Amino acid sequence: MAKRVSVDKTLFTVTLLLVFIGLVMVFSASAVMAKDRFGSPYGFLIRQFLWAVAGIGAMFGLMNVDYKRYKNSGVVFSLLGLTTILLISVFFLDRSHNTHRWFRAGPFSFQPSELAKPTLILFLSYFLESRTRQMEDWRHTLLPAIAPTLFLSALIAAQPDLGTAIACAAITAAIMFVAGTEWKYYLYAVAPLPILFYFLIWRVPWRHQRILAYANPYSDPLGRGFHIIQSLIAVSTGGFSGLGLMEGHQKLFFLPEPHTDFIFAVIGEEFGLIGTIVVLTLFAIFLYRGVRAAVLTRDVFGKYLAAGIASMIVIQALFNISVVVALLPTKGIPLPFISYGGSSLFVMLASVGVLLNITKQTD
Amino acid sequence: MASNSSSGNATKRLYILGAILCFWVTIVGLRLVQLQIFQYGQFERRAMKQQQRTTEISPSRGVIYDRNGHELAMSIMGNSVFSVPSEVPDRSTTASLIARILKADPREIEKTFDCPRNVCPVVRKIDPGLGSRIAALNLRGIYVQPEPKRYYPKGELASHLLGYVGMEDEGLAGLEYAYDSKLKGKKGTIVISMDARKRRFDSAEKDPVPGENLVLTIDEKIQYIAERELEQAMQDTHAEAGTVVVQNPHTGEILALANRPTFNPNVSRKITPAELKNHAVSDVFEPGSVFKIVTYSAALEEGLETPDSPIDCQGGLIVVNGLRIHDLHKMGTVPVSEALAKSSDVAAVKVGLKLGDDRFYRYIRSYGFGSQTGIELPGETRGLAKPVSKWSKVSIDAMSIGQEIGVTPLQLVSMVSTIANDGIYLPPRIIAGATKPTAGPQTIAFHPASGHRVVSTMTAAEMKKMMEGVVLFGTAKRAILDGYSSAGKTGTAQKVDPATHRYSQTKYVASFVGFAPVNNPAVTILVSLDSPFGLHQGGQVSAPVFRRVAQQVLAYLRIPHDVEMRDPKRLLLQAKAKDEDLNDNSPDHVGAPLDFDEDAKADAAASQVAKAEPTGATVLKPASQTIVNTRPDLNTLASASPPAPSAPTGALPPNGTVVLDVSDGAVVPSFLGKSMRSVIETAQTEGIEVDAFGSGLAREQSPPPGARMPAGRRVAVRFGR
Repeated sequence: MAKRVSVDKTLFTVTLLLVFIGLVMVFSASAVMAKDRFGSPYGFLIRQFLWAVAGIGAMFGLMNVDYKRYKNSGVVFSLLGLTTILLISVFFLDRSHNTHRWFRAGPFSFQPSELAKPTLILFLSYFLESRTRQMEDWRHTLLPAIAPTLFLSALIAAQPDLGTAIACAAITAAIMFVAGTEWKYYLYAVAPLPILFYFLIWRVPWRHQRILAYANPYSDPLGRGFHIIQSLIAVSTGGFSGLGLMEGHQKLFFLPEPHTDFIFAVIGEEFGLIGTIVVLTLFAIFLYRGVRAAVLTRDVFGKYLAAGIASMIVIQALFNISVVVALLPTKGIPLPFISYGGSSLFVMLASVGVLLNITKQTD
Repeated sequence: MASNSSSGNATKRLYILGAILCFWVTIVGLRLVQLQIFQYGQFERRAMKQQQRTTEISPSRGVIYDRNGHELAMSIMGNSVFSVPSEVPDRSTTASLIARILKADPREIEKTFDCPRNVCPVVRKIDPGLGSRIAALNLRGIYVQPEPKRYYPKGELASHLLGYVGMEDEGLAGLEYAYDSKLKGKKGTIVISMDARKRRFDSAEKDPVPGENLVLTIDEKIQYIAERELEQAMQDTHAEAGTVVVQNPHTGEILALANRPTFNPNVSRKITPAELKNHAVSDVFEPGSVFKIVTYSAALEEGLETPDSPIDCQGGLIVVNGLRIHDLHKMGTVPVSEALAKSSDVAAVKVGLKLGDDRFYRYIRSYGFGSQTGIELPGETRGLAKPVSKWSKVSIDAMSIGQEIGVTPLQLVSMVSTIANDGIYLPPRIIAGATKPTAGPQTIAFHPASGHRVVSTMTAAEMKKMMEGVVLFGTAKRAILDGYSSAGKTGTAQKVDPATHRYSQTKYVASFVGFAPVNNPAVTILVSLDSPFGLHQGGQVSAPVFRRVAQQVLAYLRIPHDVEMRDPKRLLLQAKAKDEDLNDNSPDHVGAPLDFDEDAKADAAASQVAKAEPTGATVLKPASQTIVNTRPDLNTLASASPPAPSAPTGALPPNGTVVLDVSDGAVVPSFLGKSMRSVIETAQTEGIEVDAFGSGLAREQSPPPGARMPAGRRVAVRFGR
């Protein structure tokens, strides 16, 4: 029997620290833009703060709900069904920026693709736990396991939100790996990637251009290379100790999305290497505590769930930062806890609540 | 057990997953170190470039004053007319309306609308009166704005000294060219830090440094006298060209320097290369008899002759190396002074032969021939005084009478000034000094350049006496002044045709160089007329010009009279002078004509200044490459800033957050009374480019406040204290 231990305070503290950094940086990055858009520099901060309060509330709530109660086909499949319906209906409801990502309700909006990630984690943990001895059975284990991921990722990619789709795939791969999928299946999975790459990226002009921009941003510094160059300018002008909070220049409409996808560049400019390494270290600690929780949990469902949640947060963070420092081509993935964006923040915090509950039940 | 092994397997795989993600974290960390430590600052320049806008402020160009603080060249506000062709509704009507005011060809005006830019200059720097008349037409797409313009208030006066400037106020000739860097000052800048939407968050300014003012040694009044009398002489003699130089022999200061033909620097488009030529410094000619001053003074200095020692003029014929040299005034044995007065070639050749090559050459160089005088004007040549090693057997005979040697008028006047200055050579100078831009007109004490003694005071005194004899009893009776004694020497040389290298039979350079009063000369004056028609002897055509200039200049300078006014004896001498008495031309030529090619070659090597002086052809070309920076040109704007509002048709960056605020027909704000900093800041906020002139508070702006203005057009603002 699992002993009753207290919640992982390190994980809890790291999460709250990241949320705090996020609130400060959202304010710094968005104040000028918010004044421009809402007439008040606090426009984005207030929204983010309300979402953070709601998210931390959800985290506290879920922290005290035994995660084993989700080990239930009713919970898993109704969540899967709900996500699917939301992802399909968003096509008919939302038309902002020529994309279909958001549900709007007054000043708040919700992005159903954020929900897809924890839903897939829950489904995979539930399903794979029951198949631990038949991991080699591709017809009864592997295909059914990846089918919802492929389906939801396809819907998300069609929004179009390739970043989140890739994140879903990466999280799935991580859980499948922990569950014991043979290496060779990864080779099989990678094999069709060139074809997918061709159709999803090479044939879509703006993604194609992003790839070109990634390869050589200076070939078109005012056009396709603009985002990457602006981001690199911001990060490198920060130097060791940065220009100081609120002192960055690049957020002044040079950086695209300074408060969302490129908020890490603002951290780099205003807090320098110290700031960026602190944030990176916090995510590394999160990774360590997440993996530790998974290792220490004897319950296989909890193990997979913990590994899924930890890798969801860390993989997204690494994707986001890699884009900012031009290690990966541009794609829209927010920095967990820090980037402005209510649905992401809420879902991440709620997921941490589940993870914290798992840590309570470790040996 | 199986559960255990599977859980052990899962633990191992969890560690592998953790390790993979840890590896990724490390890569990102290293990349951050690379970007923020090793590449720190590497992107700074790029960041500065996009975050800052620099507005240039034109400095005011320095004023050129005469020695008494009268402005000879200054900057005033002109008007420039620009068109925005896309706005012009009816090109031909618009063009003809403008053409009527400008008295120009409507087709030429219409052509200006076809420039590759959004804003095209129609006509620049015109009279503000014309500008306001065009502005009053209220034509759509036509804009009039002030622009500083170089103005020469005295028109053609001293134009060869001053030179002129191009459309961008860059000096293209004369002192404007030679002292361009001093006169033009330094551009000021206002650097404004801006966000991507062109809102400022910081600014720093550097005031323009106005150009320094130049104070010349020229006296406007004396210059005027010289120009007027030269102009009169040109009309009387129909000469092709002419030069008058007035120098203070005691300091080397040039008091006046006039050339004909001349030009009006205010109308620089119409200047021809012939008009532009500053004959006083760039003409090389054989001086003829004037050069006998060198021959005689050298002989006196060396103790070979005295003014009274007899010299046999051999009835006006000498044969040297088989060549026969005749005198026009046939004489027997006369005193040396009389031989000079009558300009005997025979005597001069004999004196020269007594001196010998080396000694003669030493004096030639000592008087400054064969080297540049170092005057501050561009285009000075050093003339041609070939070294003894290149002399032929007859060279000394030729040079004794001023042939086979090339001199400039300025060298000649300096040589005569040496005699007037008791034997000390002083290099001619035209710049008294430069003054601080804010100083306004002020006079500067002139410090002569260091000189050197050529002949003793005694020799100089004897020469003065002998040269006075030339005026009173010799070939220069028409240089006799009323109330003043005067001295000098005439010269008439046949021109060498540069094409054929042969002496012209019809073209002469008639010159006279003299000074007055004799005992304490106030001025040395050179008059040189190139190819006068009809009478062509120095004593006939140039000496009278000397008399008229000297008479007025000495009176203007309030030089006390040293002889009686209206002295009947002197008046009689002058009146009795017949044209044929005044001949000094050598009918014979001893050596080969001067090789001007050689002269040109020597100059090319010696004088960079001469080369750098723009020729007429290049001068007339518009300075196209400089126009780009100062034209109301949208293209330069667009290339400078990534999300510039002036690129309305440019491709949007893929992300929608970079907003282009395309202002079509913005309303011009009022800048009047504001400081330069606040003007520039306001303008940047509004997305307007400003051309700022002067310093202080905004006094004038164009277009006026409230006017509608197309995107990217510039507002000119004049500042004043």
